[in-house]
Amino acid sequence: MLVALLFLSVQQPALQPPDSVRVKQLDAVVVTATRTERRVGSLPMPVTVIGQPQIRQSGSLRLNDILREQTGLAIVNDHGQGLQVQGFGPDYTLILVDGEPLVGRTAGTLELSRLTVGNIKQIEIVKGPSSSLYGSEALAGVVNIITENPDRTQGSVAARYGANRSSDLTGDVSLRKGKTGLYLFDNRYQSGGYDFSPETAGNTVSPFLNHTVSGRLTTAFGSRLKLSVSGRFFAEQQDNAFSLTDQRVVSGDGAVREYTINPVLTHQASDNWKFTYRYYRTGYRTTTALRYQDTREAYDDSYFRQTFDRGEVVSERTIRNRHFLTVGAGFIAEGVEATRYPGRQQFTTRYGFAQFEWVPAQRFTLIAGGRFDAHSQYAEQFSPKLSARYELSQTVALRGSAGVGFKAPDFRQLYLNFDNAVVGYSVFGTQEIATSIARLQQQGQIAELLLDPARFGSIRAESSVAVNLGAVADFQKKYSLPLRLSVNLFRNDIRDLIETQVVARKTNGQNVFSYTNLSRVFTQGAELDGSYRFTLGSGQLTLSSGYQFLDARDKAVTASIRAGQLFRRNPETGLTERVRLADYGGLLNRSRHMANGKVFYELPRQGLSASLRGVYRSRYGFADANGNLILDEAGEYVPGYITWHATVSKTIKMITIQAGVDNLTGYTDPQFIPSLAGRLWYASLRWAWARQSSISH
Amino acid sequence: MKITYQILLFTASLATLTACASDDDAPVVLPVQAQTVNNLPADPTTPSSTTGQPPLSTGKFTLYNLRDNKTVANTDSATNRWDVGFRGTTVIINGGAVRSGQGGAYVHTGTFEELTAIPATATFAQDQSATSLAIPTGSGLGWYNYNSTNNIITPVPGRVLVIRTGDGKYAKLEILSYYENAPATPGATSRSRFYTFRYVYQPDGSTKLN
Repeated sequence: MLVALLFLSVQQPALQPPDSVRVKQLDAVVVTATRTERRVGSLPMPVTVIGQPQIRQSGSLRLNDILREQTGLAIVNDHGQGLQVQGFGPDYTLILVDGEPLVGRTAGTLELSRLTVGNIKQIEIVKGPSSSLYGSEALAGVVNIITENPDRTQGSVAARYGANRSSDLTGDVSLRKGKTGLYLFDNRYQSGGYDFSPETAGNTVSPFLNHTVSGRLTTAFGSRLKLSVSGRFFAEQQDNAFSLTDQRVVSGDGAVREYTINPVLTHQASDNWKFTYRYYRTGYRTTTALRYQDTREAYDDSYFRQTFDRGEVVSERTIRNRHFLTVGAGFIAEGVEATRYPGRQQFTTRYGFAQFEWVPAQRFTLIAGGRFDAHSQYAEQFSPKLSARYELSQTVALRGSAGVGFKAPDFRQLYLNFDNAVVGYSVFGTQEIATSIARLQQQGQIAELLLDPARFGSIRAESSVAVNLGAVADFQKKYSLPLRLSVNLFRNDIRDLIETQVVARKTNGQNVFSYTNLSRVFTQGAELDGSYRFTLGSGQLTLSSGYQFLDARDKAVTASIRAGQLFRRNPETGLTERVRLADYGGLLNRSRHMANGKVFYELPRQGLSASLRGVYRSRYGFADANGNLILDEAGEYVPGYITWHATVSKTIKMITIQAGVDNLTGYTDPQFIPSLAGRLWYASLRWAWARQSSISH
Repeated sequence: MKITYQILLFTASLATLTACASDDDAPVVLPVQAQTVNNLPADPTTPSSTTGQPPLSTGKFTLYNLRDNKTVANTDSATNRWDVGFRGTTVIINGGAVRSGQGGAYVHTGTFEELTAIPATATFAQDQSATSLAIPTGSGLGWYNYNSTNNIITPVPGRVLVIRTGDGKYAKLEILSYYENAPATPGATSRSRFYTFRYVYQPDGSTKLN
């Protein structure tokens, strides 16, 4: 079947010849790494670019579909599908759309499936800390989604249907007249969900329906002033139903709404000076209304509303056409209002950053930068970063960077005010704990105070120091060999990791929790990437493969193992024994080995293309099972697995037909990976139109 | 309830027994024995899996005498006849302001076997009130960890309860399971509040524990 798929083959976007697509992709221009337009190959830090052709050929619909196939990225599940970069959890990667951050995380995870890929021009992923440019959350890396621009007049309509009664309708239109352009995009995505355990009430994934509408208006005033106004609206509705431990069934609706508005004014004051004025506002809200099915009594009636406002001015100065200075300043106001938070909470941040790109010789680039964040709730942060690139030869370039990243305590860690009525425990944010403990003491609910609540107020941001060292070899220039290899070694030392901490014991035997800076962890590893392209028959075959080795550990655990203070029960003898360092599997949910292999085949003349992609994740820790709270036993791991994905498409004039299968082998693990549906087939039809005169580029 | 006796150092103890039978004059030092107690109910609240009968939750502690290796009636709670008591995850000791005996306890980090004697520097805590106990309650603070995602109580490996008994003798005790029949991986259907533990009791009043 695979062979048949391979040779059946292929699609090509009607508008661009395949060669230009590939070449462009290797040398794509990105903006995320330095906040200025740079070729990927010339950057001193590891950057991955995913272009629109690859997204289309892979048959991806949502952001998680395409990100899971990239080297060194894992999609992990914790209150949604989030991104793991260099061994960091989802809360440590900043997700941007056109340079502006998305908000609305649940327990730190930004649900990637909220984003359709239909309006994406390219995705840029910078690994390693980028807090020197972006501030909080850019600890592990930054994903920047670049959306379509109305460069020419064109339009498209696409429809797709697949397993699990999932359907996707996408349409966009781009209009261009003189200096003014308008881009409009609409997407409707619906799924019937699926169920791994029909014997229990509710589904593994409940049916949902979402809409995305986005648009951008661009215009120019004279030759030096450009304006772009873009916006996005997202709405999702999900029918939930599940049974509680006492077998009672609750059901109801969950809704998510999100909007963004983003005007950007660019002023090219002179050949050497450029100013960018940006304003961004986004709002995110969820509402949940769950009722008991038998009595119709309310089970959970809650809401969460978050807003984020940012104004920013950036100036770029070109010095003697070789060196570049970027200086910026901005102001952020964030607010949150939710059932579990007292009143409306607000944060403000003032920040400034500067970056100097020094090019003393053609073969050598040095970038030094730093950012200062003054926050209303925690101590100031300074995040410097230094990176350099040196071309050893025409083929090989070395690159290295060192920087500091940070993540501010979030609203939950500061303001959560939550009493679990069913079990009886309580969780309070660091700003709430003192008054809440006082209240509980007055009510006689506190049995014993274990820590002084006053010490929790001074929570610090989590921070990391990271080093990335690597080399890139491109054999095209010197050997005319379309082979590209890269290697990157990384090490991140994180301190002040925020974790829950028991503050007091209640008279009901349950605990009162808050958050505090506890752990020091490190993640280190190596990433290898390679791609090779050659002619096969009358078509082009592109092979690419990637691998990441990862080692992520808690330093306190390592220290207590070394001191002989960590034990486990031998499952066979039942006796207690010391844990050896070799037994320690590191942080949970991290695979030691991850790999991918992809084959893309194109027959441009026939309009055919096909792809086969395999993604491997080695075993990873799920939870402690033997009571010592660390990962040290085979039974505590989720088995490793491979998923295979295949697509075939054919383009006839303006129409592209695509068929594909995600998870070809139908691998599932209902117990540990409920988000991995079985084999999913789909078929789609896309009609694309462009005004003739604008194809000539 | 089923109680089994496990003899460690089997050959060694046989040898000693033989020795003492033949030589009545020499002072006898019996090596202490490790005993295992299985399925000691600690006021269970979940229905029995076999009969489906709801248990009679009394809210009372199951009191235990380590020398005799048997439970003590609750009517004897104000005596020094019991040494340690269990109810839910709470473990009490017969000593302190709210007890009648001379007991005390502390939580030792290390293996059961390696703890051969109580160090002279050890300090024993006592039960001063219902909320200030010698063996601290709460996840990670005393003998167990509580996993809030699956609601499972797991004894922390490498925690040994060092106990001074109601009548002033010494013992070490390691809790092995909190669930009926001590399943290797307790689940949602496992009946909780059934202790399996092993202990060594030193009847001669010394702090030697092997």
